[in-house]
Amino acid sequence: MVSIMRLLALAALGVSLAAAQINDVHTATLANGMKVLVQEDHNIPNVALYFFYRIGSRNEHPGATGVSHFFEHMMFNGAKKYGPKQFDIEMEKSGGNNNAYTANDVTVYTDWFPRTALDLMFDMEADRIRDLSFDPKIIESERGVVYSERRTSVDNSNFGILYEQLYAAAFTAHPYHWPVVGWPSDIESWTMDDLKTHFRMGYAPNNCVMVVVGDVTNTEVLALAKKYIEPIPRQDPPPPVRTKEPDQLGERRVFVRKPAQLPIEMIGYHVPESKNADDAVLDVLQTILDHGQSSRLYSRIVDKDQLALSVNSFRQSSLDPGLLIFSIQPRAGVDIAKPEKALFEELQLLQTTPVSDRELQKAKNVILADHYRQLKTIAGRANLLGTYEVFHGDYALLFTEEQRVDAVTAADVQRVAAKYLTDKNRTIAVLIPEEKSK
Amino acid sequence: MTTRHGLALLLAATPLLAQVKLPPYTHNVLPNGVVVDLMRKPGVPLVRFRILVKGGAEAEPPELAGLAGVTAQLLRKGTAKRTAAQFSDELDFLGGTFQTGGFAEQYSSATTINGEFLTKDFDQGLDLLTDAVLHPTFPQQEVDKLLAQRVDAVKSAKDNPQAAIPSYYGAFFFGPKHPFGHPPDELTLARVRRDDIAAFHKRLYCGRNLIVIVTGDFDTASAEAKIASAFGQGEAGTAFVWNSPASPAPKTRLLLVDKPDATQTYFYIGQPGIDRHNPDRIKLLILNTLFGGRFTSMLNDELRVNSGLTYGAFSAVQEYRVPGSIYISTYTKTETTGKAIDVALEILKKLSEKGITPEQLASAKAYIKGTFPPDRLETADQLSATLADLELYGLGRDEIDNLFARIDAVSLDDANQAARKYFRTDRLTFVALGNAAKIRDAVKKYSDEVTEISIKDPGFRGVR
Repeated sequence: MVSIMRLLALAALGVSLAAAQINDVHTATLANGMKVLVQEDHNIPNVALYFFYRIGSRNEHPGATGVSHFFEHMMFNGAKKYGPKQFDIEMEKSGGNNNAYTANDVTVYTDWFPRTALDLMFDMEADRIRDLSFDPKIIESERGVVYSERRTSVDNSNFGILYEQLYAAAFTAHPYHWPVVGWPSDIESWTMDDLKTHFRMGYAPNNCVMVVVGDVTNTEVLALAKKYIEPIPRQDPPPPVRTKEPDQLGERRVFVRKPAQLPIEMIGYHVPESKNADDAVLDVLQTILDHGQSSRLYSRIVDKDQLALSVNSFRQSSLDPGLLIFSIQPRAGVDIAKPEKALFEELQLLQTTPVSDRELQKAKNVILADHYRQLKTIAGRANLLGTYEVFHGDYALLFTEEQRVDAVTAADVQRVAAKYLTDKNRTIAVLIPEEKSK
Repeated sequence: MTTRHGLALLLAATPLLAQVKLPPYTHNVLPNGVVVDLMRKPGVPLVRFRILVKGGAEAEPPELAGLAGVTAQLLRKGTAKRTAAQFSDELDFLGGTFQTGGFAEQYSSATTINGEFLTKDFDQGLDLLTDAVLHPTFPQQEVDKLLAQRVDAVKSAKDNPQAAIPSYYGAFFFGPKHPFGHPPDELTLARVRRDDIAAFHKRLYCGRNLIVIVTGDFDTASAEAKIASAFGQGEAGTAFVWNSPASPAPKTRLLLVDKPDATQTYFYIGQPGIDRHNPDRIKLLILNTLFGGRFTSMLNDELRVNSGLTYGAFSAVQEYRVPGSIYISTYTKTETTGKAIDVALEILKKLSEKGITPEQLASAKAYIKGTFPPDRLETADQLSATLADLELYGLGRDEIDNLFARIDAVSLDDANQAARKYFRTDRLTFVALGNAAKIRDAVKKYSDEVTEISIKDPGFRGVR
């Protein structure tokens, strides 16, 4: 493992290292409450500019589910100075491109562009945060786009539809119950008022973190932020999400019957939010279970028992307690009960027997190497800085990732497995292939 | 998590940006023919090894499609020094990666093996890689296991239209006689035997077919000797001889793949394109950027932004050793299948007949230049892929170092001539995947020659 000492020594020798291993991030908070993180990196003449708004499907209500995501689309459909299509047209002709994503807890706008477009990007971002327009015709057209997205990622995707059903069953009270893309009937019926309410609620500068990584100077970024963003007034942030998911009192099982060649199973366990001290333990636990062909689940279920094509675990950053999900793609002709039983046995084993020192160290080595992998690009670092700031509460934790993971012990893994990976705490979603009824 | 668009980022500064240059690298040929490129790219403490074995899908007998990929996947499943389990445990303990193949397996002119390790683990990583690449043992039980898994993976892919349609398109466009026309399927994979794999390895994994590219944060001076020692021992063997397959004759035809539960139709519209050496390549890069290569492209603007018919529409120009195709790809709800295809064809016709404007030309040039550094030059991985292209296609560093000048040199006339020449509106290949009962009538007007198959049929061209 690469120690911090060595990195510092190399840096002293003038060896250029990824800036993210040493905390060289400049921070500022604008008068309107927006936090700004800047990391200079002159490797390529480009810039990654990310805006993390603390608003997502978590802040929605029944009847208007998916509105955060729909709003994310509308942010590209015109404001006061830059009209419909202009954001993309101006950006692309300046050599940049963009994307955006909406999750349960955040909506993130991601801009990548040559440094020559820096001023333009600040002007355009400020324009749409301050003066977004709402054209009824464009809303209708974008509704079709979002529905097509839903058809692709959920309705015509076996994994997508099962994932949606899993969350809907695992969360009965908390807003993680509904999908980020929204229920079909809500997509069909959002109104202009829903959008405007959402905009006022979430798109306040004080509800946002701006991250800039790349071929810039901190001084120029701050000057642009003060010129373009700072005059936008602060507003009340979204009201707190009060509902907490009650403890689960027994296993839940849901079925999706659909034409398919192979079944799929997903199993979700309630686990704490990203800020919880068990977060690092869960990272280690997941790595032991599913990273690489030497992992417990691969070597047992895919390789030795040949019951599945793949077994993976998945957990996303979250502000409220979320799910640790295991996904099994069984082999053709295999009864789904078999890989499920094997998985439960492996989860039980983690609770009864401490993991070996070597296995623990292997997991830590993997997490550290993967951490470096995420730091390779300016885009990757912008995303990580924002994620640490929003979900872990402090971007600077990015620079102590090694210590965070190193502190995890075999006893921690055993304790966390016993605490969360229980029968009562799980929800199982199964896709069962069926013939299409004529 | 739900993203705004699913467009793959394509090749891509502004007119104000200076020409970017490929960082310095060394190129050597070992006595046994192995080509070795080393490029130091400081940054995160990782080193990437990329090994190319010339041949790939082009070296497979069509009836054994998937042989190249399967051989590569089995390299780690038992070697001279390690069992499959030992290899995996050692690799994972280092936090290393070992990857082979990829989704472009069907179009490969070489097998690619990628390994990435922490800089401090350079020696161990190299040892693992050479052990796998040069000394695999292909244990029978591992062969059986992998082949059975691969057959099931094809079935799994057919449950996901977006994963399946590229294989249907490739098989249909190129046809069974072309090396790119036989995607691995349930039937071809079931025919592969251990002897085929061992023979494939013996024939192709030899000095004259190997290209080793090392990029990242490592000491190039000591690496040179280490690589020479690791790869210089193997036999020179016989260099793979490329064949010259005939390109499919263009004609109007349509493949309808029935998936009765689909609520959306996925479709491709293709026509003949170019190979990687074609002098028109930059013109097509510019045209494709405008046609379907970015968010504001003609296709995405009309099919998504103006009409809401789809979440995304794009086009691609395949660039391989031998000529590939130019295709449009999108999807729409079942009810608007005909409308979306009509709109796509109208946009194609407009590009072909009216060409592009000076403003569009300038915008595309800026876009390609602006997005090029983060797409191709930022990381050791990207640089490694760039070097692989140069080596495989016999190109020099001028390919990158003068790229911007070549882009700047394209005139409006050049671009519009190329638009007329390549973006044709006749003799198109259509592939539509959806609920046949509901879309059959809508799609049959596009071709007199319609082939219909079920997604449940094994293979990607139906049972014959």
